[in-house]
Amino acid sequence: MPRESEPERSAGGVPVVEITRSYGFSAAHRLHNPRFSLADNARIYGRCNNPNGHGHTYRLEVTIRGPVSSETGWVEAGPALDAVVRTQVLRRFDRMTLDHLITPTDGPTSTTEVLAALLWRILDGALPARRLCHLRLEETPNNFFDLDRDGAEGLARPVFTTPADRGQKVSPA
Amino acid sequence: MIQVTKRVEFCAAHRYANPRWSEAENQRVFGKCANVHGHNYILEVTVEGEPSPDTGMVMDLKVLKDLIIEAVMDRFDHKDLNQDVPYFKEKNPTPENLAVVIWELLEARLEGRQGHWLHRIRLHENGSFFVDYFGEHAGHAERI
Repeated sequence: MPRESEPERSAGGVPVVEITRSYGFSAAHRLHNPRFSLADNARIYGRCNNPNGHGHTYRLEVTIRGPVSSETGWVEAGPALDAVVRTQVLRRFDRMTLDHLITPTDGPTSTTEVLAALLWRILDGALPARRLCHLRLEETPNNFFDLDRDGAEGLARPVFTTPADRGQKVSPA
Repeated sequence: MIQVTKRVEFCAAHRYANPRWSEAENQRVFGKCANVHGHNYILEVTVEGEPSPDTGMVMDLKVLKDLIIEAVMDRFDHKDLNQDVPYFKEKNPTPENLAVVIWELLEARLEGRQGHWLHRIRLHENGSFFVDYFGEHAGHAERI
């Protein structure tokens, strides 16, 4: 049984906690970089380059970090997280074709890496400043992609180059 | 450095209420969570350290399990957190605050041990929501 002399109260300072919620959405896509030849697209992306596309049930885990409110016991911005994800991500991407929504400035094609970086920018812009801490985007239960602030800030202005951009013959390795 | 994690499950009732607020205010802010309800919590306790050259273990998981039973399970399992746990007379029994008090209870039992230390408390309230606590306070501003 618990010891009676237990120090039950925090010594001082506001605890900083990370909370993670998960969400799901379903979308179609096709991996295809128009800068590559048809043959190279087929060779590089394989069955993901199927002309009529395919789809996934994506699972998104969003982690936000912050001090625990002494009034509510919640991490600030925690209660708003569901509404932000619903309006900014689920309404925009659920039951949609990703290739209609991902532009060349987001990345060369709708890989889950590119989508994760895009979702980071959307959510980081919609949540209170620097509260977003981590994103995990699962394409299938076996393939998932993690992004934290250090990684995302490196991707804030992506530079995607292909051999065509560099004026070379398009024959990617 | 290796992290080892022990997972346990406990079941408890709670309601969200700030005793400084009116009942109407509690209902407005916390909605249906202001009614008494319960969860099957899943707790993951992660200890970090180097494997002992003698045992090959970071920490004997049986020892860790016994600490968790004494510190956490005996205190919270099949209890009403608001009524049965003194800590939650003043603090709201959110998963955030629950993770913090579990950290404090286990940290008190693990501090001073050689070669390993408490790394993380992860508390799942349900299949789509969990909280992580690494023992940090808002004074550590660089990571906020």
